[in-house]
Amino acid sequence: MDKYTQKKWDKAAPHFDMMAGGGAEKRWKPFKETLFSNMEGNILFLALGTGLDIPTFPKGKNISAIDISPRMLELAQARIDEYDGSITAEVMDVHDLKYADRYFDQVFTSCTFCSVPNPIEGLKSLKRVLKPGGDLYMFEHTGSKYYPFKVMMDLMTQLSKRLGPDMNRTTVANVAAAGFEVLEVNNLFLDVVKTIKCRNPK
Amino acid sequence: MDHRIFFVAGDLIANLLVGALVGLVSAIFVGVGWNMLLAMILAMMLGMLIGGLTFFPLSLLFGAMEVMLPAMLTGMISGMVVGMRGTMHSMTPYEGAAIGGICGLVCILIIWVINSRLRGVKSHG
Repeated sequence: MDKYTQKKWDKAAPHFDMMAGGGAEKRWKPFKETLFSNMEGNILFLALGTGLDIPTFPKGKNISAIDISPRMLELAQARIDEYDGSITAEVMDVHDLKYADRYFDQVFTSCTFCSVPNPIEGLKSLKRVLKPGGDLYMFEHTGSKYYPFKVMMDLMTQLSKRLGPDMNRTTVANVAAAGFEVLEVNNLFLDVVKTIKCRNPK
Repeated sequence: MDHRIFFVAGDLIANLLVGALVGLVSAIFVGVGWNMLLAMILAMMLGMLIGGLTFFPLSLLFGAMEVMLPAMLTGMISGMVVGMRGTMHSMTPYEGAAIGGICGLVCILIIWVINSRLRGVKSHG
């Protein structure tokens, strides 16, 4: 377990809904609902946080969810209880998943790989637990390849990474580097906020 | 751009406010007779800093990256323009705020145009 990252997100937990649950969540809700409407079968949801994404899940699904922060999951419990379906939430580090190989039909992430310390290793870990032919659906913000946005995001990352996420990750490249087949990248705001659909090759 | 009226209005208000604030501060900060290039660079950096900091309260209402990047661009451009004018003409803080506010509105329009070109499905495997 990465104690530094766990401590960082435990510390952020009490203020997380105020920071992330307002404008950003309202802005992104319709896109998340569309992405999560693909949920089928045995599902892993990565980095549940305080459960802000739960209201955008389709009803009646059976979801295993993990987060590195116990305090985040404590705060998520009320939303887990309200969900019309089943969510089993556990404290777990993506670098050290306790699930068997090829266990899940699908994996979903939501603003997760801006924060995973070693993203390619984390993605390889997801690949291990995902069935061959299974899909990885991601809602992520990444860095931009366009100036001046690239410089701005590199500068802001110097501040943001101390409190929470990096803002300049190359997540699409990381997904490919981890061995996934990238099927679709849908830019929602510039080339920064996007959904990514990938497949674990058979 | 996001077509929901709350976010359209939010984008306009946020960039108007950031631009006006940066313009006001730049007009106070830069004096007539300064080296123009130096004034532009300093005001641009100050504007980006202000844009980056004002992002935090504005993001609570209007979004995350959708607020941060326009705010920083607005800060950069407003600071540069007001900083440049400030070296040539004496300018009241209110004039600086007005010019900065206009720069903010222009910046968000530019962002909307760029976004319309970049958004959508870009690659298939």
